[in-house]
Amino acid sequence: MDDRIPWVVKYRPRRVEEVVGQDEAKRVLREWLKQWAEGRVPERRAALLHGPPGVGKTSLVEALAREFDFDVLELNASDYRRKSDIERTVSVAARKKPLFKKGLLILMDEVDGIDPKADEGGIEALVEVVKVTGNPLVFTANDPWREQLRPLRELCLMVEFKGLSETAIVSLLQRICESERLQCDREALKLIAERSIGDARAAVNDLQAVAEGYGRVTLDIVRALIKGRDKSLDIWRTLNNIVYARQAWMAKKAVTQSEIDYETLITWLNDNIPKKYTEPEDLYRAYEALSRATLQLTRSKTTGEWSLLQYVFDLLGPGVTFARTSGTISKERYGFPEKIRLAMQLRTVREIREKLAEQLARNVLASKSIVKNEIIPYLTIIFRNTSNPVMAARIAIGYRFDKETVKFLAGPNADNIIKTIEKIRRAKPEEVKNEKIEERVEVKKQPKVKEEKTVKDAKSKSTGSLDKFLKRS
Amino acid sequence: MSVAELLWVEKYRPRTLDDIINQKEVVERLKVFVKERSMPHLLFAGPPGTGKTTAAHALAHDLYGENYRQYMLELNASDERGINVIREKVKEFARSRAPEGVPFKVILLDESDNMTGDAQQALRRLMELYTASTRFILVANYPSKIIDPIQSRCAFFRFTPLGKDDVVGRLRYIAEREGVDFDEEALDTIYEISEGDMRRAINVLQAASVMGRVTVETVYKVVGMARPREVREMLKLALSGDFMGARSLMRKLMLEYGLSGEDIVRQVHREIFSQEIKIPEELRVMIADYLGEVHFRLVEGSDDDIQLSALLAWLALMGRRLK
Repeated sequence: MDDRIPWVVKYRPRRVEEVVGQDEAKRVLREWLKQWAEGRVPERRAALLHGPPGVGKTSLVEALAREFDFDVLELNASDYRRKSDIERTVSVAARKKPLFKKGLLILMDEVDGIDPKADEGGIEALVEVVKVTGNPLVFTANDPWREQLRPLRELCLMVEFKGLSETAIVSLLQRICESERLQCDREALKLIAERSIGDARAAVNDLQAVAEGYGRVTLDIVRALIKGRDKSLDIWRTLNNIVYARQAWMAKKAVTQSEIDYETLITWLNDNIPKKYTEPEDLYRAYEALSRATLQLTRSKTTGEWSLLQYVFDLLGPGVTFARTSGTISKERYGFPEKIRLAMQLRTVREIREKLAEQLARNVLASKSIVKNEIIPYLTIIFRNTSNPVMAARIAIGYRFDKETVKFLAGPNADNIIKTIEKIRRAKPEEVKNEKIEERVEVKKQPKVKEEKTVKDAKSKSTGSLDKFLKRS
Repeated sequence: MSVAELLWVEKYRPRTLDDIINQKEVVERLKVFVKERSMPHLLFAGPPGTGKTTAAHALAHDLYGENYRQYMLELNASDERGINVIREKVKEFARSRAPEGVPFKVILLDESDNMTGDAQQALRRLMELYTASTRFILVANYPSKIIDPIQSRCAFFRFTPLGKDDVVGRLRYIAEREGVDFDEEALDTIYEISEGDMRRAINVLQAASVMGRVTVETVYKVVGMARPREVREMLKLALSGDFMGARSLMRKLMLEYGLSGEDIVRQVHREIFSQEIKIPEELRVMIADYLGEVHFRLVEGSDDDIQLSALLAWLALMGRRLK
């Protein structure tokens, strides 16, 4: 077998006994499928398996199907969510007879991803299939309590899957270690298990990441790796645990147990909430929570009252989770925050504007805020005018703007202005030189102290929170 | 024609009291101070762009001559970080060399109405402490926001919005000096738009002159462009329910124009009462109300991007309820 194969695939349970925990679910589901296998149609023709990600929903279905010699037709609800898709695929499959095996089981993943608006009629179509299906039909969902799933819930056998205990995950990891002939510390496995928050898939992925990098799994390595390694997996899991949490304590745990610092988490939430929450009401409520979280964070920092932080966690976790009342969770992937990419750029632009405001404030005798609101907008018009770059160029010479300032003011027109400045300089180099001296007399009188201070301020700012925050991420 | 150019508001600023053509009463009284080499603390109050700061500089110029700025401490209450910074600067300045022939130096405190009541109390003590060697000129838009004990210590000067003749006359003078091609009605339009604010009037003229002949049309164009149209676009997108579109415009405003969260909130506030945005009147009030909350959170130091995203998400929700 290729060693590169993900362990989550390699060690996917093949027999029901290999599925970790979930005894109740195993019993109920086996009973249900047995009826189908014996040719009896159960009272409920479909089962809805629900629970957090990575606890064995799909695995158990596959293992049971193998046990009863059923074929499995796996569909992902995100691929077949509209009424017409469902009629084309699921309805057809529901009437099909298996070719070689005893029966055919239809497994449809992630039905909570069907959007009541965008995928109108999807749920209704499924309900119709459930009523008449001649083959066992199994749905899975992270969150089955959505309003739009209600008609489906009423018809389905509801099977709950619980988050896995740490002990269960540790013993799973131990088995893998033995099979891979890996040297594994029990403490290291415990740490991995603890961080997985009941998600076996995540734990196995982490184990593989450590093992492949170091050939052994010790507590030190796990600790170090967790700190130093690319955190995207961690972030992904934290976001997912927040978004899909079913109870407030779960969402809170997702935040407090995450290795991600809260400022990074806030940035990721800021960019990913609109990807996952599509309902305007949900989106607003989530942002209100996020906004209040950042407010509490600032308050806790400025007052030094760290006990206020717990409210930040409340708002980031449950606040975001339960902002969602009706809408579905979009299947769109989590993305790297645009804001982090833009942060550097943004800081530069702001510094240029600030510097310009400070310079002009002295010249036009007004506050920086007046300059920003009453002067810079007009300068921008002058500098962005494409047909007449001369005035802008002359002003740039008059105030000795540097290139960055010209770029800031002129935007896409910057090259035009810069070329014109150079043209003027070449044509009348002497005059440009004299002008500089002549026009700047007043500035020379200004004490230099203020400028030095600005530089200092800018420096102290740059070592401030933004830098830290960039480093952390 | 010289190669370098300045902003016309700087280039055509009156340098002496004699240069100031309007605010006649104020100027006459200030000239007496110059003549007698004596003056009390002063409070200059009036709308923006009516020449308050310019008059203070002209006064100092006439008192101390060309190099007046070494005898004048220029502070801006909205730019300085708190009363303690102001106190330190005043202390240091009071110790500096005294001018010849004038028994005091001048401390110009611009936008002093932006100071809190507590800060003003501290300021009052400063004024008393250094009254032997310095005179304060406090500049404010709203004199009612200056506490009574300060008002009673100052000679009060009210600056009124400039009249049409003054503004149009000045604009014509500048336009002729600069060789700008213009329509007479365009200058009237600039006056109307600038509402007696000379600074804005001159800025509009200079920006319009870049576009060729200054006409009523180019004036309106400049006025429209002075507010990034992205603010309005952003509002419209948000109200139509397109949160992501609105947010990418918001980020563009921050990145390309360097606007801060507060800048954007201010501009949104202006836009929501414009007829360009077609929404029920009561929604304008609701938006203003929520905007105030966002503004407050920003002032408290909360993250720009998140607060504005919250605003846009709220607008998207309001927009959908309208449908």
